[in-house]
Amino acid sequence: MDMHLSRFGREMRVAWAIASKDMRTYYTRPPSIMFGILFPFSLFLSFSVGRNIPIALQIPILIAQTLFFASSSIGPVVIPSERANQTFDRFLTSPVSLLTVLMGKTLAGLLYGVGISVIPILVGIVFFGSHIASFEALIACMILSALGFSAMGIVFASIPGQTPGQVMMPLNFVRIPLLFISGVYIPVRELPFWGQATSLLSPLTHTIELARYALGGETFFGPVVNIAVLAAYTTVFLFMSIRFHTMNQRKE
Amino acid sequence: MTEMKSQYAIKVTNLMKKYGDLVAVDHINFDIKKGEVFGFLGPNGAGKTTTIRMLTGISIPTEGNALIMGYDIQRSPIEAKEQMGIVPDISNIYNELSAWDNLIFTGRLYDMPKSHRERRAEELLKMFGLYERRKEKVQDFSRGMKRRICIAMALMNRANLLFLDEPTSGLDVQSVLIIRDLIRKLNQEGLTIFVTTHNIEEASQMCDRVAIINHGKIAAINTPEWLKRTVEGLQSVEIAFDTMPQDALEQLHAFADVSEVVKEGDKFKLYTYNPASVLASTWSYAQSNNLKLITINTMGPSLEDVFVKLTGIRPATAQQNEPGAGVRKTVGQGRERR
Repeated sequence: MDMHLSRFGREMRVAWAIASKDMRTYYTRPPSIMFGILFPFSLFLSFSVGRNIPIALQIPILIAQTLFFASSSIGPVVIPSERANQTFDRFLTSPVSLLTVLMGKTLAGLLYGVGISVIPILVGIVFFGSHIASFEALIACMILSALGFSAMGIVFASIPGQTPGQVMMPLNFVRIPLLFISGVYIPVRELPFWGQATSLLSPLTHTIELARYALGGETFFGPVVNIAVLAAYTTVFLFMSIRFHTMNQRKE
Repeated sequence: MTEMKSQYAIKVTNLMKKYGDLVAVDHINFDIKKGEVFGFLGPNGAGKTTTIRMLTGISIPTEGNALIMGYDIQRSPIEAKEQMGIVPDISNIYNELSAWDNLIFTGRLYDMPKSHRERRAEELLKMFGLYERRKEKVQDFSRGMKRRICIAMALMNRANLLFLDEPTSGLDVQSVLIIRDLIRKLNQEGLTIFVTTHNIEEASQMCDRVAIINHGKIAAINTPEWLKRTVEGLQSVEIAFDTMPQDALEQLHAFADVSEVVKEGDKFKLYTYNPASVLASTWSYAQSNNLKLITINTMGPSLEDVFVKLTGIRPATAQQNEPGAGVRKTVGQGRERR
Protein backbone atom coordinates (compact mmCIF):
# COMPACT_ATOMS: atom_id res chain seq x y z
CA MET A 1 0.00 0.00 0.00
CA ASP A 2 2.79 2.39 1.03
CA MET A 3 4.71 1.45 -2.09
CA HIS A 4 1.69 2.21 -4.29
CA LEU A 5 1.16 5.54 -2.54
CA SER A 6 4.81 6.40 -2.93
CA ARG A 7 4.70 5.46 -6.66
CA PHE A 8 1.53 7.52 -7.10
CA GLY A 9 3.10 10.52 -5.35
CA ARG A 10 6.16 10.22 -7.53
CA GLU A 11 4.10 10.04 -10.72
CA MET A 12 2.12 13.12 -9.69
CA ARG A 13 5.29 15.10 -8.94
CA VAL A 14 6.75 14.18 -12.33
CA ALA A 15 3.47 15.05 -14.10
CA TRP A 16 3.60 18.46 -12.44
CA ALA A 17 7.27 18.89 -13.43
CA ILE A 18 6.32 18.19 -17.06
CA ALA A 19 3.32 20.52 -16.92
CA SER A 20 5.25 23.38 -15.31
CA LYS A 21 8.07 23.02 -17.86
CA ASP A 22 5.52 23.14 -20.71
CA MET A 23 3.81 26.18 -19.19
CA ARG A 24 7.10 28.00 -18.97
CA THR A 25 8.31 26.98 -22.39
CA TYR A 26 5.24 26.92 -24.61
CA TYR A 27 2.49 29.19 -23.26
CA THR A 28 3.89 32.27 -24.96
CA ARG A 29 4.88 30.56 -28.20
CA PRO A 30 3.21 32.13 -31.26
CA PRO A 31 1.18 28.97 -32.17
CA SER A 32 -0.21 28.78 -28.62
CA ILE A 33 -1.26 32.42 -28.68
CA MET A 34 -2.65 32.21 -32.20
CA PHE A 35 -4.63 28.97 -31.90
CA GLY A 36 -5.41 29.22 -28.20
CA ILE A 37 -6.29 32.89 -27.74
CA LEU A 38 -6.60 34.88 -30.97
CA PHE A 39 -8.55 32.15 -32.77
CA PRO A 40 -11.47 31.81 -30.29
CA PHE A 41 -11.72 35.56 -29.69
CA SER A 42 -11.70 36.33 -33.44
CA LEU A 43 -14.30 33.63 -34.13
CA PHE A 44 -16.46 34.98 -31.35
CA LEU A 45 -16.24 38.55 -32.62
CA SER A 46 -16.89 37.60 -36.24
CA PHE A 47 -20.08 35.73 -35.31
CA SER A 48 -21.31 38.05 -32.56
CA VAL A 49 -20.75 41.59 -33.80
CA GLY A 50 -23.93 42.95 -35.34
CA ARG A 51 -26.19 40.23 -33.94
CA ASN A 52 -29.07 41.31 -31.79
CA ILE A 53 -28.11 39.28 -28.71
CA PRO A 54 -27.29 40.97 -25.37
CA ILE A 55 -23.58 40.69 -24.70
CA ALA A 56 -24.23 39.22 -21.23
CA LEU A 57 -25.88 36.23 -22.93
CA GLN A 58 -22.87 35.82 -25.18
CA ILE A 59 -20.38 35.56 -22.31
CA PRO A 60 -21.02 31.80 -21.81
CA ILE A 61 -20.26 31.26 -25.52
CA LEU A 62 -16.98 33.09 -25.18
CA ILE A 63 -16.12 31.11 -22.03
CA ALA A 64 -16.86 27.84 -23.83
CA GLN A 65 -14.92 28.83 -26.94
CA THR A 66 -11.85 29.91 -25.01
CA LEU A 67 -11.92 26.70 -22.94
CA PHE A 68 -12.35 24.68 -26.12
CA PHE A 69 -9.63 26.29 -28.25
CA ALA A 70 -7.08 27.17 -25.57
CA SER A 71 -7.10 23.78 -23.81
CA SER A 72 -6.99 21.74 -27.00
CA SER A 73 -4.15 23.80 -28.50
CA ILE A 74 -1.36 23.14 -26.02
CA GLY A 75 -0.80 19.42 -26.78
CA PRO A 76 -0.67 20.01 -30.54
CA VAL A 77 1.86 22.81 -30.06
CA VAL A 78 4.04 21.08 -27.47
CA ILE A 79 4.23 17.47 -28.64
CA PRO A 80 5.14 17.99 -32.33
CA SER A 81 7.75 20.59 -31.31
CA GLU A 82 9.22 18.15 -28.78
CA ARG A 83 9.11 15.39 -31.33
CA ALA A 84 11.10 17.54 -33.77
CA ASN A 85 13.75 18.28 -31.10
CA GLN A 86 13.62 14.67 -29.87
CA THR A 87 12.93 16.03 -26.39
CA PHE A 88 9.74 13.95 -26.25
CA ASP A 89 12.07 10.91 -26.15
CA ARG A 90 13.32 12.19 -22.78
CA PHE A 91 9.92 11.42 -21.29
CA LEU A 92 9.82 7.98 -22.88
CA THR A 93 13.20 7.13 -21.37
CA SER A 94 12.36 8.54 -17.94
CA PRO A 95 11.30 6.19 -15.15
CA VAL A 96 7.63 7.20 -15.31
CA SER A 97 4.62 5.72 -17.06
CA LEU A 98 3.33 7.04 -20.37
CA LEU A 99 0.12 7.93 -18.52
CA THR A 100 2.09 10.29 -16.27
CA VAL A 101 3.77 11.95 -19.24
CA LEU A 102 0.43 12.47 -20.96
CA MET A 103 -1.16 13.65 -17.71
CA GLY A 104 1.57 16.26 -17.44
CA LYS A 105 0.87 17.42 -20.98
CA THR A 106 -2.90 17.38 -20.32
CA LEU A 107 -2.42 19.40 -17.14
CA ALA A 108 -0.51 22.07 -19.08
CA GLY A 109 -3.46 22.35 -21.50
CA LEU A 110 -5.98 22.36 -18.67
CA LEU A 111 -4.29 25.23 -16.86
CA TYR A 112 -3.92 27.20 -20.09
CA GLY A 113 -7.63 26.79 -20.89
CA VAL A 114 -8.74 27.65 -17.37
CA GLY A 115 -6.41 30.65 -17.25
CA ILE A 116 -7.61 32.07 -20.57
CA SER A 117 -11.30 31.43 -19.83
CA VAL A 118 -11.09 33.50 -16.65
CA ILE A 119 -10.74 36.57 -18.90
CA PRO A 120 -14.31 36.44 -20.37
CA ILE A 121 -15.71 35.58 -16.94
CA LEU A 122 -14.12 38.68 -15.42
CA VAL A 123 -15.11 40.83 -18.42
CA GLY A 124 -18.70 39.58 -18.10
CA ILE A 125 -18.85 40.29 -14.37
CA VAL A 126 -17.05 43.64 -14.44
CA PHE A 127 -18.41 45.21 -17.63
CA PHE A 128 -21.69 43.47 -18.48
CA GLY A 129 -23.27 42.65 -15.14
CA SER A 130 -22.98 38.86 -15.40
CA HIS A 131 -23.32 37.09 -12.10
CA ILE A 132 -22.34 33.59 -11.08
CA ALA A 133 -25.52 31.69 -10.20
CA SER A 134 -23.79 28.36 -9.55
CA PHE A 135 -20.15 28.48 -8.57
CA GLU A 136 -20.03 24.65 -8.50
CA ALA A 137 -21.34 24.44 -12.07
CA LEU A 138 -18.77 27.01 -13.22
CA ILE A 139 -15.90 25.10 -11.59
CA ALA A 140 -17.16 21.79 -13.02
CA CYS A 141 -17.57 23.41 -16.44
CA MET A 142 -14.04 24.87 -16.43
CA ILE A 143 -12.19 21.87 -14.99
CA LEU A 144 -14.00 19.09 -16.85
CA SER A 145 -14.07 20.95 -20.16
CA ALA A 146 -10.45 22.07 -19.97
CA LEU A 147 -9.38 18.55 -19.00
CA GLY A 148 -11.42 16.89 -21.75
CA PHE A 149 -10.39 19.34 -24.48
CA SER A 150 -6.77 19.22 -23.40
CA ALA A 151 -6.89 15.41 -23.64
CA MET A 152 -8.51 15.78 -27.07
CA GLY A 153 -5.53 17.89 -28.14
CA ILE A 154 -3.18 15.16 -26.85
CA VAL A 155 -5.08 12.57 -28.92
CA PHE A 156 -4.52 14.64 -32.07
CA ALA A 157 -0.91 15.25 -31.09
CA SER A 158 -0.32 11.52 -31.56
CA ILE A 159 -0.43 12.24 -35.31
CA PRO A 160 3.26 11.82 -36.12
CA GLY A 161 4.00 15.36 -37.30
CA GLN A 162 6.97 17.47 -36.35
CA THR A 163 5.36 20.92 -36.58
CA PRO A 164 2.27 22.24 -34.76
CA GLY A 165 0.66 22.96 -38.15
CA GLN A 166 0.65 19.27 -39.07
CA VAL A 167 -1.53 18.57 -36.03
CA MET A 168 -3.58 21.80 -35.97
CA MET A 169 -4.91 21.23 -39.47
CA PRO A 170 -6.73 17.95 -38.74
CA LEU A 171 -7.66 19.25 -35.28
CA ASN A 172 -9.37 22.31 -36.77
CA PHE A 173 -11.11 20.01 -39.20
CA VAL A 174 -12.90 18.67 -36.13
CA ARG A 175 -13.02 21.78 -33.93
CA ILE A 176 -14.66 24.18 -36.37
CA PRO A 177 -17.58 21.91 -37.43
CA LEU A 178 -18.21 21.23 -33.73
CA LEU A 179 -18.99 24.94 -33.28
CA PHE A 180 -22.00 24.55 -35.60
CA ILE A 181 -23.55 21.52 -33.93
CA SER A 182 -23.01 22.54 -30.33
CA GLY A 183 -25.60 25.26 -29.82
CA VAL A 184 -23.00 28.01 -30.02
CA TYR A 185 -24.88 30.17 -32.47
CA ILE A 186 -28.29 28.51 -32.39
CA PRO A 187 -29.51 27.40 -28.93
CA VAL A 188 -30.03 23.61 -28.69
CA ARG A 189 -33.74 24.18 -27.89
CA GLU A 190 -34.24 25.78 -31.32
CA LEU A 191 -32.55 22.97 -33.25
CA PRO A 192 -34.59 20.26 -35.00
CA PHE A 193 -34.70 16.85 -33.29
CA TRP A 194 -31.79 15.41 -35.30
CA GLY A 195 -29.82 18.57 -34.49
CA GLN A 196 -30.53 18.16 -30.79
CA ALA A 197 -29.51 14.50 -30.95
CA THR A 198 -26.27 15.43 -32.71
CA SER A 199 -25.51 18.23 -30.28
CA LEU A 200 -25.91 15.80 -27.36
CA LEU A 201 -22.86 13.97 -28.74
CA SER A 202 -20.69 17.06 -28.91
CA PRO A 203 -18.67 17.79 -25.75
CA LEU A 204 -18.70 21.49 -26.61
CA THR A 205 -22.52 21.53 -26.24
CA HIS A 206 -22.17 20.55 -22.62
CA THR A 207 -19.48 23.14 -21.94
CA ILE A 208 -21.73 25.91 -23.28
CA GLU A 209 -24.77 24.55 -21.43
CA LEU A 210 -22.89 24.36 -18.13
CA ALA A 211 -21.44 27.84 -18.62
CA ARG A 212 -24.95 29.21 -19.32
CA TYR A 213 -26.32 27.40 -16.29
CA ALA A 214 -23.49 28.69 -14.10
CA LEU A 215 -24.25 32.27 -15.15
CA GLY A 216 -27.95 31.91 -14.45
CA GLY A 217 -29.15 30.75 -17.86
CA GLU A 218 -30.97 27.56 -18.75
CA THR A 219 -29.57 24.21 -19.85
CA PHE A 220 -31.45 21.98 -22.30
CA PHE A 221 -29.96 18.66 -21.19
CA GLY A 222 -29.55 19.55 -17.52
CA PRO A 223 -26.30 20.01 -15.55
CA VAL A 224 -26.07 16.36 -14.50
CA VAL A 225 -26.12 15.17 -18.11
CA ASN A 226 -23.67 17.93 -19.03
CA ILE A 227 -21.23 16.87 -16.32
CA ALA A 228 -21.67 13.15 -17.07
CA VAL A 229 -21.03 13.61 -20.80
CA LEU A 230 -17.98 15.83 -20.20
CA ALA A 231 -16.57 13.31 -17.69
CA ALA A 232 -17.17 10.47 -20.17
CA TYR A 233 -15.42 12.36 -22.97
CA THR A 234 -12.49 13.18 -20.71
CA THR A 235 -12.06 9.49 -19.87
CA VAL A 236 -12.37 8.45 -23.51
CA PHE A 237 -9.89 11.08 -24.71
CA LEU A 238 -7.36 10.14 -22.02
CA PHE A 239 -7.70 6.46 -22.89
CA MET A 240 -7.39 7.20 -26.61
CA SER A 241 -4.32 9.38 -26.09
CA ILE A 242 -2.51 6.59 -24.21
CA ARG A 243 -3.54 4.06 -26.81
CA PHE A 244 -2.45 6.17 -29.78
CA HIS A 245 0.86 7.21 -28.23
CA THR A 246 1.60 3.56 -27.40
CA MET A 247 0.85 2.67 -31.02
CA ASN A 248 3.38 5.32 -32.03
CA GLN A 249 5.98 3.63 -29.83
CA ARG A 250 5.34 0.38 -31.67
CA LYS A 251 5.86 2.14 -34.98
CA GLU A 252 8.98 4.01 -33.75
CA MET B 1 17.16 -13.43 -12.56
CA THR B 2 19.36 -12.77 -9.52
CA GLU B 3 22.37 -14.06 -11.40
CA MET B 4 21.37 -11.84 -14.30
CA LYS B 5 21.26 -8.82 -12.01
CA SER B 6 24.66 -9.57 -10.56
CA GLN B 7 26.43 -10.32 -13.81
CA TYR B 8 24.96 -8.51 -16.80
CA ALA B 9 24.18 -4.87 -17.43
CA ILE B 10 22.33 -5.79 -20.62
CA LYS B 11 21.09 -9.12 -21.90
CA VAL B 12 19.38 -9.11 -25.28
CA THR B 13 17.48 -12.13 -26.54
CA ASN B 14 16.13 -12.46 -30.07
CA LEU B 15 15.42 -8.77 -30.35
CA MET B 16 13.65 -7.89 -33.58
CA LYS B 17 12.12 -4.74 -35.03
CA LYS B 18 10.07 -4.67 -38.17
CA TYR B 19 8.74 -1.62 -40.05
CA GLY B 20 6.18 -2.99 -42.46
CA ASP B 21 8.13 -5.53 -44.51
CA LEU B 22 11.51 -4.11 -43.56
CA VAL B 23 13.34 -5.95 -40.79
CA ALA B 24 15.51 -3.23 -39.24
CA VAL B 25 16.88 -5.42 -36.44
CA ASP B 26 16.85 -9.14 -37.07
CA HIS B 27 16.73 -11.36 -33.95
CA ILE B 28 19.93 -10.15 -32.36
CA ASN B 29 21.42 -11.68 -29.22
CA PHE B 30 24.19 -10.30 -27.05
CA ASP B 31 25.02 -9.53 -23.46
CA ILE B 32 27.12 -6.90 -21.77
CA LYS B 33 28.84 -7.43 -18.46
CA LYS B 34 28.71 -4.78 -15.78
CA GLY B 35 31.61 -2.35 -16.05
CA GLU B 36 32.22 -2.97 -19.74
CA VAL B 37 32.54 -0.37 -22.48
CA PHE B 38 30.67 -2.02 -25.30
CA GLY B 39 30.83 -0.65 -28.82
CA PHE B 40 28.05 -1.12 -31.32
CA LEU B 41 29.57 -0.59 -34.71
CA GLY B 42 27.92 -0.49 -38.07
CA PRO B 43 27.28 1.55 -41.20
CA ASN B 44 24.39 3.99 -41.43
CA GLY B 45 21.05 2.19 -41.48
CA ALA B 46 22.52 -1.01 -40.02
CA GLY B 47 20.16 -0.97 -37.03
CA LYS B 48 22.31 0.68 -34.34
CA THR B 49 19.90 3.46 -33.38
CA THR B 50 16.87 1.18 -33.66
CA THR B 51 18.54 -1.19 -31.21
CA ILE B 52 19.36 1.59 -28.77
CA ARG B 53 15.79 2.92 -29.01
CA MET B 54 14.43 -0.51 -28.11
CA LEU B 55 16.88 -0.95 -25.24
CA THR B 56 15.96 2.43 -23.77
CA GLY B 57 12.19 2.01 -24.04
CA ILE B 58 11.55 4.62 -26.74
CA SER B 59 10.51 1.97 -29.21
CA ILE B 60 8.68 -1.28 -28.55
CA PRO B 61 10.33 -4.37 -30.07
CA THR B 62 8.34 -6.48 -32.53
CA GLU B 63 9.80 -9.60 -30.93
CA GLY B 64 12.31 -10.57 -28.28
CA ASN B 65 13.28 -8.98 -25.03
CA ALA B 66 16.03 -7.04 -23.31
CA LEU B 67 17.04 -7.07 -19.67
CA ILE B 68 18.59 -3.92 -18.27
CA MET B 69 20.42 -4.66 -15.02
CA GLY B 70 18.10 -7.66 -14.74
CA TYR B 71 14.88 -5.73 -15.42
CA ASP B 72 12.86 -6.43 -18.52
CA ILE B 73 12.50 -3.13 -20.41
CA GLN B 74 8.96 -4.11 -21.46
CA ARG B 75 7.67 -5.68 -18.25
CA SER B 76 9.45 -3.52 -15.68
CA PRO B 77 10.16 -0.35 -17.66
CA ILE B 78 10.33 1.98 -14.68
CA GLU B 79 12.87 -0.11 -12.77
CA ALA B 80 14.89 -0.62 -15.97
CA LYS B 81 14.84 3.09 -16.84
CA GLU B 82 15.96 4.05 -13.34
CA GLN B 83 19.24 2.27 -14.10
CA MET B 84 20.13 4.13 -17.25
CA GLY B 85 21.19 7.46 -18.66
CA ILE B 86 20.83 8.19 -22.37
CA VAL B 87 22.70 10.44 -24.76
CA PRO B 88 20.94 10.23 -28.13
CA ASP B 89 22.54 10.93 -31.50
CA ILE B 90 21.02 14.44 -31.51
CA SER B 91 21.50 16.62 -28.41
CA ASN B 92 17.90 16.67 -27.24
CA ILE B 93 18.09 19.51 -24.78
CA TYR B 94 15.58 22.28 -24.11
CA ASN B 95 16.96 25.24 -26.03
CA GLU B 96 14.56 27.63 -24.31
CA LEU B 97 15.88 26.72 -20.86
CA SER B 98 19.20 27.59 -19.25
CA ALA B 99 21.90 24.98 -18.71
CA TRP B 100 20.97 24.91 -15.03
CA ASP B 101 17.24 24.48 -15.71
CA ASN B 102 17.89 21.67 -18.18
CA LEU B 103 19.69 19.70 -15.50
CA ILE B 104 17.18 20.56 -12.78
CA PHE B 105 14.28 19.49 -15.00
CA THR B 106 16.03 16.18 -15.69
CA GLY B 107 16.42 15.71 -11.95
CA ARG B 108 12.69 16.33 -11.52
CA LEU B 109 11.89 13.70 -14.16
CA TYR B 110 13.82 11.23 -11.98
CA ASP B 111 12.02 12.60 -8.91
CA MET B 112 15.28 13.53 -7.23
CA PRO B 113 14.80 15.59 -4.07
CA LYS B 114 15.46 19.33 -4.56
CA SER B 115 18.70 19.46 -2.58
CA HIS B 116 20.07 16.35 -4.36
CA ARG B 117 19.30 17.61 -7.84
CA GLU B 118 20.78 21.05 -7.14
CA ARG B 119 23.95 19.52 -5.72
CA ARG B 120 24.26 17.10 -8.63
CA ALA B 121 23.59 19.83 -11.23
CA GLU B 122 26.30 22.02 -9.73
CA GLU B 123 28.74 19.11 -9.59
CA LEU B 124 28.11 18.16 -13.24
CA LEU B 125 28.21 21.71 -14.59
CA LYS B 126 31.54 22.22 -12.85
CA MET B 127 32.82 18.88 -14.16
CA PHE B 128 31.91 19.89 -17.73
CA GLY B 129 33.30 23.41 -17.36
CA LEU B 130 29.90 25.05 -17.84
CA TYR B 131 29.10 26.25 -14.34
CA GLU B 132 29.97 29.88 -15.14
CA ARG B 133 27.45 29.81 -17.98
CA ARG B 134 24.72 27.96 -16.12
CA LYS B 135 22.22 30.83 -16.33
CA GLU B 136 22.50 31.23 -20.11
CA LYS B 137 19.92 29.68 -22.41
CA VAL B 138 21.48 26.70 -24.14
CA GLN B 139 20.27 27.85 -27.55
CA ASP B 140 23.30 30.17 -27.60
CA PHE B 141 25.72 27.33 -26.85
CA SER B 142 28.06 25.74 -29.40
CA ARG B 143 27.39 22.21 -30.62
CA GLY B 144 30.11 20.79 -28.39
CA MET B 145 28.72 22.59 -25.33
CA LYS B 146 25.22 21.33 -26.09
CA ARG B 147 26.63 17.81 -26.32
CA ARG B 148 28.25 18.23 -22.92
CA ILE B 149 24.95 19.45 -21.44
CA CYS B 150 23.22 16.44 -22.97
CA ILE B 151 25.76 14.08 -21.38
CA ALA B 152 25.45 15.90 -18.06
CA MET B 153 21.67 15.41 -18.21
CA ALA B 154 22.22 11.69 -18.76
CA LEU B 155 24.41 11.57 -15.66
CA MET B 156 22.00 13.45 -13.39
CA ASN B 157 20.42 10.32 -11.90
CA ARG B 158 23.77 8.60 -11.19
CA ALA B 159 22.88 5.84 -13.63
CA ASN B 160 24.62 2.47 -13.63
CA LEU B 161 24.43 2.17 -17.39
CA LEU B 162 25.05 4.89 -19.94
CA PHE B 163 23.85 4.71 -23.54
CA LEU B 164 25.74 6.92 -25.95
CA ASP B 165 24.52 7.11 -29.53
CA GLU B 166 27.27 8.53 -31.77
CA PRO B 167 28.60 10.70 -28.92
CA THR B 168 31.36 12.44 -30.86
CA SER B 169 29.78 12.65 -34.29
CA GLY B 170 30.18 16.08 -35.89
CA LEU B 171 32.04 17.64 -32.96
CA ASP B 172 35.22 19.70 -32.91
CA VAL B 173 38.45 17.98 -31.88
CA GLN B 174 38.50 19.53 -28.41
CA SER B 175 34.98 18.34 -27.61
CA VAL B 176 35.76 14.87 -28.97
CA LEU B 177 38.80 14.58 -26.71
CA ILE B 178 36.85 15.83 -23.67
CA ILE B 179 34.06 13.32 -24.29
CA ARG B 180 36.38 10.37 -24.91
CA ASP B 181 38.30 11.22 -21.77
CA LEU B 182 35.05 11.46 -19.84
CA ILE B 183 33.86 8.07 -21.09
CA ARG B 184 37.10 6.50 -19.86
CA LYS B 185 36.79 8.23 -16.51
CA LEU B 186 33.16 7.22 -16.03
CA ASN B 187 33.99 3.64 -16.92
CA GLN B 188 36.83 3.63 -14.40
CA GLU B 189 34.28 4.71 -11.81
CA GLY B 190 32.29 1.56 -12.59
CA LEU B 191 29.72 2.78 -15.11
CA THR B 192 28.78 0.35 -17.86
CA ILE B 193 28.83 2.09 -21.23
CA PHE B 194 27.03 1.11 -24.42
CA VAL B 195 28.27 3.25 -27.27
CA THR B 196 27.16 3.19 -30.88
CA THR B 197 29.56 4.64 -33.37
CA HIS B 198 30.70 4.39 -36.94
CA ASN B 199 34.10 5.69 -35.92
CA ILE B 200 36.10 2.47 -35.94
CA GLU B 201 39.23 3.97 -34.48
CA GLU B 202 37.20 5.36 -31.59
CA ALA B 203 35.62 1.97 -30.93
CA SER B 204 39.02 0.29 -31.11
CA GLN B 205 40.52 2.71 -28.59
CA MET B 206 37.67 2.86 -26.10
CA CYS B 207 35.76 -0.41 -26.11
CA ASP B 208 36.36 -3.60 -24.18
CA ARG B 209 34.20 -5.44 -26.69
CA VAL B 210 32.68 -4.55 -30.01
CA ALA B 211 29.68 -5.86 -31.92
CA ILE B 212 29.53 -5.24 -35.64
CA ILE B 213 25.99 -4.95 -36.92
CA ASN B 214 25.05 -4.95 -40.58
CA HIS B 215 21.62 -5.22 -42.21
CA GLY B 216 20.08 -5.65 -38.76
CA LYS B 217 22.18 -8.70 -37.90
CA ILE B 218 25.22 -9.01 -35.70
CA ALA B 219 28.11 -9.99 -37.94
CA ALA B 220 30.70 -10.35 -35.18
CA ILE B 221 31.09 -9.71 -31.51
CA ASN B 222 34.30 -9.82 -29.49
CA THR B 223 37.20 -7.74 -28.25
CA PRO B 224 38.77 -5.41 -30.85
CA GLU B 225 42.06 -7.32 -30.69
CA TRP B 226 40.38 -10.68 -31.12
CA LEU B 227 38.42 -9.38 -34.09
CA LYS B 228 41.63 -8.09 -35.64
CA ARG B 229 43.20 -11.52 -35.23
CA THR B 230 40.39 -13.09 -37.26
CA VAL B 231 41.73 -11.24 -40.28
CA GLU B 232 45.38 -11.64 -39.42
CA GLY B 233 46.13 -12.57 -43.04
CA LEU B 234 45.29 -9.02 -44.00
CA GLN B 235 48.57 -7.37 -43.16
CA SER B 236 49.68 -4.27 -44.98
CA VAL B 237 52.72 -2.26 -45.91
CA GLU B 238 52.38 1.52 -45.84
CA ILE B 239 54.74 3.44 -48.09
CA ALA B 240 55.32 7.02 -49.19
CA PHE B 241 57.72 8.31 -51.84
CA ASP B 242 59.27 11.75 -52.12
CA THR B 243 57.48 12.27 -55.44
CA MET B 244 54.26 10.73 -56.66
CA PRO B 245 55.00 8.45 -59.66
CA GLN B 246 52.41 8.34 -62.45
CA ASP B 247 50.24 5.19 -62.53
CA ALA B 248 51.66 4.22 -59.14
CA LEU B 249 48.42 2.56 -58.05
CA GLU B 250 48.45 0.16 -60.98
CA GLN B 251 52.19 -0.47 -60.77
CA LEU B 252 52.09 -1.19 -57.04
CA HIS B 253 49.13 -3.46 -57.50
CA ALA B 254 51.16 -5.49 -59.96
CA PHE B 255 53.59 -6.49 -57.18
CA ALA B 256 53.59 -10.16 -56.25
CA ASP B 257 51.39 -11.06 -53.25
CA VAL B 258 49.58 -7.69 -53.18
CA SER B 259 45.81 -8.13 -53.02
CA GLU B 260 44.83 -4.48 -52.87
CA VAL B 261 46.35 -1.02 -52.91
CA VAL B 262 44.72 1.94 -51.18
CA LYS B 263 45.97 5.50 -51.62
CA GLU B 264 45.59 7.50 -48.43
CA GLY B 265 46.74 11.08 -48.90
CA ASP B 266 50.42 10.93 -49.94
CA LYS B 267 50.76 7.32 -48.78
CA PHE B 268 49.95 3.95 -50.29
CA LYS B 269 48.72 1.01 -48.29
CA LEU B 270 49.48 -2.36 -49.86
CA TYR B 271 47.46 -5.26 -48.45
CA THR B 272 49.31 -8.55 -48.49
CA TYR B 273 49.72 -11.96 -46.95
CA ASN B 274 53.48 -11.67 -47.37
CA PRO B 275 54.91 -8.34 -46.17
CA ALA B 276 58.52 -9.47 -46.70
CA SER B 277 57.93 -10.03 -50.40
CA VAL B 278 56.19 -6.65 -50.72
CA LEU B 279 59.06 -4.89 -48.94
CA ALA B 280 61.51 -6.38 -51.42
CA SER B 281 59.34 -5.40 -54.40
CA THR B 282 58.94 -1.89 -53.03
CA TRP B 283 62.66 -1.48 -52.67
CA SER B 284 63.29 -2.63 -56.27
CA TYR B 285 60.49 -0.36 -57.54
CA ALA B 286 61.97 2.66 -55.76
CA GLN B 287 65.44 1.91 -57.15
CA SER B 288 64.34 1.38 -60.72
CA ASN B 289 62.16 4.52 -60.76
CA ASN B 290 64.71 6.66 -58.95
CA LEU B 291 62.31 7.31 -56.06
CA LYS B 292 63.20 8.01 -52.47
CA LEU B 293 61.24 6.12 -49.85
CA ILE B 294 60.28 8.53 -47.07
CA THR B 295 57.93 6.23 -45.13
CA ILE B 296 57.75 2.49 -44.86
CA ASN B 297 55.72 0.66 -42.19
CA THR B 298 54.40 -2.86 -41.90
CA MET B 299 51.02 -2.96 -40.22
CA GLY B 300 48.71 -5.59 -38.73
CA PRO B 301 45.02 -5.60 -39.58
CA SER B 302 42.95 -2.77 -38.10
CA LEU B 303 39.41 -2.93 -36.79
CA GLU B 304 38.47 -1.14 -39.99
CA ASP B 305 39.78 -4.14 -41.94
CA VAL B 306 37.53 -6.40 -39.87
CA PHE B 307 34.62 -4.07 -40.48
CA VAL B 308 35.25 -3.98 -44.23
CA LYS B 309 35.61 -7.73 -44.35
CA LEU B 310 32.36 -8.31 -42.47
CA THR B 311 30.21 -5.57 -43.96
CA GLY B 312 31.76 -4.95 -47.33
CA ILE B 313 31.59 -1.24 -46.59
CA ARG B 314 34.52 1.10 -46.09
CA PRO B 315 32.83 3.75 -43.95
CA ALA B 316 35.54 6.37 -43.75
CA THR B 317 35.98 6.41 -47.52
CA ALA B 318 32.44 6.06 -48.75
CA GLN B 319 32.29 9.68 -49.84
CA GLN B 320 35.93 10.14 -50.54
CA ASN B 321 35.81 7.49 -53.21
CA GLU B 322 33.31 9.54 -55.17
CA PRO B 323 34.61 10.52 -58.62
CA GLY B 324 36.80 13.56 -58.41
CA ALA B 325 37.33 13.41 -54.69
CA GLY B 326 40.81 12.07 -55.25
CA VAL B 327 41.74 11.72 -51.58
CA ARG B 328 41.65 7.98 -51.32
CA LYS B 329 41.70 5.55 -54.20
CA THR B 330 41.60 1.80 -54.24
CA VAL B 331 42.86 -0.74 -56.73
CA GLY B 332 42.41 -4.45 -56.28
CA GLN B 333 39.93 -6.61 -54.46
CA GLY B 334 38.97 -3.70 -52.18
CA ARG B 335 35.21 -3.73 -52.07
CA GLU B 336 35.06 -7.36 -53.00
CA ARG B 337 36.73 -8.32 -49.73
CA ARG B 338 33.56 -9.44 -47.94
